Amino acid sequence: MRKKIRARLNRFVAVVAGALCWLAPALARAQEFEKVSGAVREELPGGRFVAAAYGFIWIAVLVYVVSIARGLGRVREDLGALKKRLDRAGPRP
Amino acid sequence: MRSLGIGFWIALALAAAGFLIVPTMIMNAPTEPVMGFVQKIFYFHVPCAIMLFLSTFVCAGGSVAFLFKASERGDRIAVAAAELSVLFGICVLTSGPLWGRKAWGVWWQWDARLTSSLLLFLILNGYLLARRYGGPAGKKLAAALSLFAAVDVPLVYKSVDIWRTVHPRTTVVPTLDPRMRPAFWSAFALMLLVWSLLLALRVRLENARAELAELRLEAEDLLEAAS
Repeated sequence: MRKKIRARLNRFVAVVAGALCWLAPALARAQEFEKVSGAVREELPGGRFVAAAYGFIWIAVLVYVVSIARGLGRVREDLGALKKRLDRAGPRP
Repeated sequence: MRSLGIGFWIALALAAAGFLIVPTMIMNAPTEPVMGFVQKIFYFHVPCAIMLFLSTFVCAGGSVAFLFKASERGDRIAVAAAELSVLFGICVLTSGPLWGRKAWGVWWQWDARLTSSLLLFLILNGYLLARRYGGPAGKKLAAALSLFAAVDVPLVYKSVDIWRTVHPRTTVVPTLDPRMRPAFWSAFALMLLVWSLLLALRVRLENARAELAELRLEAEDLLEAAS
C-alpha cells in the first residue's frame, strides 16, 4: 500500500517537474524586461492630451459666457415684464 | 441696464486676437526634451492656476468688505469671483490630470499639491452652495468660507517646496527657458484678459439682479398705493 502511494507521488512530482521545465522559458520571459528593437515610440501620444486639455478649458469658458448671457437675458425679460405691469396699473400717484 | 463701455469691447477684441496668436506661439515654442509634446499643457495649466488664486483673493477681499463694512458691492464682487474660482479650478483639475497621465503614468496622486488644490476647489464650491442653500445667514457663512479659501492659497502654492511631491516645484516659471517665456507670458496675458472680461460680465449680471430686486420692491409699493 505504501509502495503504491510512494509510486503515485513520485509520478506526480515527475509530471509537475516536467511541466515546470517546459513552462520555464515562458515564465522567465514574463518577468524580464523586453529589449526594444528599432526606434523608441510613445505608447500614449501627447497630442491628444494637449488637445483635450485646451479644448476643455475653452469649452468651459464658453459655457460660462453663455450662462452669463442667459442670466442677463432673463433679467432684461423680467424688467420688461415689470414695466408692462406698471404701465397697465396706470399713472403713478 | 447700462450699455457696455468701450474698454470692454477693446478687451474683447484683444482677447479674440489672442485666441489666434497665442496657440501659434505655443506651437512654435521648443518642445521639452523629457516630457515631450504633452508639456505644452503647461502654457494654459499654470495661468489657469494663477487665475484660480487671483479669483480666490478677490472673493476674500469682497467678503471682508461685506462682513466688516456691510458692502453689498463687495458681496457682488465676491460671488462673481467665487464662480470664476470654480471655473478656473475645474480647468486646473482637468488639465493637470491629463498632463499627469502622460508624464507620471497616473491620472491622480494624493500628494500635497494636488490634494490642497482639490481642497481649495471644494471650499469654493462650499461658498457657492452656502449662498444658494444657506438661507438668511448663507451670505455671511459663505463670506467666512472664502477667508478659509484665501488661507489655503499660500499652502497650495508652497506645498511643492514644503513636502516631497511628484508635482513640479515653484522654481519652474522663474527658471523657464528664455525661448519658452514669450509663449508662457502671452498665454498668461490672454488668460488674465479673459478673467477680467468674465469678472466684469458676472459683476454686471449681479448688479442687474440687485437693481431688478429693488425695482420689484418699489413696484409692489406703487401698485399697493394705486389699488
